[in-house]
Amino acid sequence: MKGLLLKDLYMIKQYCKSYILIAAIFIAVSLSGNDNMFFVFYPVILCGIIPVNLIGYDERSRWIQYSAALPYTAAQIVSAKYLIGLFTQIAMLSVTGTAAIVKMGMTGGIRINDFIILMLMMLIVSTVTSSLTLPFIFKLGVEKGRIAYYFMIGFIFAASFSAGKIFEEDLHAKFEINTVLAILCIIGIGIYILSWYLSVEFYKKREL
Amino acid sequence: MNALEINDLCKSYAGFALDHLNLVLPQGCIMGLIGENGAGKSTTIKLILDMIRKDSGTIRIFGKNNTDNLKLLKEDIGVVMDEVGLPECLTAKQVGSVMRHTFRSWDDTGYLRLIKRFALPDNKPFKDFSRGMKMKLGIAIAMSHGSKLLLLDEATSGLDPVIRDEVIEIFNDFTRDETHSILISSHIVSDLEKLCDYVAFIHKGKLLLCDEKDRLLAQYGILRCTSEQLKSLAPKTVKYKKENPYGAEALVLRDNAPSGMDISPVSIEELFVFMVKGGAAV
Repeated sequence: MKGLLLKDLYMIKQYCKSYILIAAIFIAVSLSGNDNMFFVFYPVILCGIIPVNLIGYDERSRWIQYSAALPYTAAQIVSAKYLIGLFTQIAMLSVTGTAAIVKMGMTGGIRINDFIILMLMMLIVSTVTSSLTLPFIFKLGVEKGRIAYYFMIGFIFAASFSAGKIFEEDLHAKFEINTVLAILCIIGIGIYILSWYLSVEFYKKREL
Repeated sequence: MNALEINDLCKSYAGFALDHLNLVLPQGCIMGLIGENGAGKSTTIKLILDMIRKDSGTIRIFGKNNTDNLKLLKEDIGVVMDEVGLPECLTAKQVGSVMRHTFRSWDDTGYLRLIKRFALPDNKPFKDFSRGMKMKLGIAIAMSHGSKLLLLDEATSGLDPVIRDEVIEIFNDFTRDETHSILISSHIVSDLEKLCDYVAFIHKGKLLLCDEKDRLLAQYGILRCTSEQLKSLAPKTVKYKKENPYGAEALVLRDNAPSGMDISPVSIEELFVFMVKGGAAV
């Protein structure tokens, strides 16, 4: 699988330079006075889409077909994309995390607990984003997969919004933030593993 | 042992069906898979590599079922597809690094030697390569990891005649080792005529024939004569005929033709065209 990861790293180096620029802009906006931490962490969420973009390039160059002629299993081909997504998200998280600490220092002191919660939340949100996307992409290809993904995201947002409205008061009353975070972590890891499993199964059955 | 055995292979798509394909490629031999565009050549190669699922039939590579531990089998198979399929931003040097971590028996020195022999640039991205250069890089990869079987899908198309000749020479060298074999598909029949020990004609998903090239060339000939002379021949002698007001041309079995008739040698290309137009299996 090393070869697959190396090939993806070469592609990231070539095609994803813009992500560094976007991260720099968002961090600069955040540090220059905007109180919203979203600006610091948005690049991490954005990195969740890197594996999808890489698959898009693979389809265009017909690497998808060529890699099937190389000594790799479907599980290795799929796992490489999940790993590369995780690497880029963690790398971006460490950059933006540093920026978040600087911002906390500038705006009234570093709160380690808040910082850890933010980091974890961002990692969960970004990995779940790619976890929801990748099975569709591996089953249907990038073009059709994206359409299915948008429907899925729309449904999840609608369901989350409705659930939030219904259970808002109960959640505040019954759970502490750490408990909620722990539950979210478990759900996030569960979705990630299920997503990987589905992607492998879909990819095994896909005709190239 | 045979490098490749295909038995009763079937695969259907909307508007196309590969129909009970049977092929045997002995080790140390080169087989040309000849057919027009859309005849089923690429489908056959994809089925061998399990890139698409067969409807029925069996495929054995070096005596092993192609779906049993294909990952290990692929270490011994060099593949060049119609579209080579390398990432557009990678250079030949980077491709070498990727393949070093892909194949257990990757031969860096051999790869660099072929890159040099094909005059391929080290640091130019793949997207800037001409079609011929892309094919040459694909061939260099396929031949740099100790392959015992090469599967080449239109691998000589897009190459200029000089390089094509050189590539054919490289393939010939490759099969000097008795454990090495090649299945090469092409619609440029002249390339295959120079190269192959066996030829298989495929037309609309059906195998028209599969035999030793030299045997076919010895067995068949072209007879140019008058319509009356043609009529005097036994029907089993004539495999296909074309008649016009000036005379007739027929593909005939040499052994069945009466002595004294002027029968010209047939080329594989002529044989293929006769077979397809005649629509008959021999």
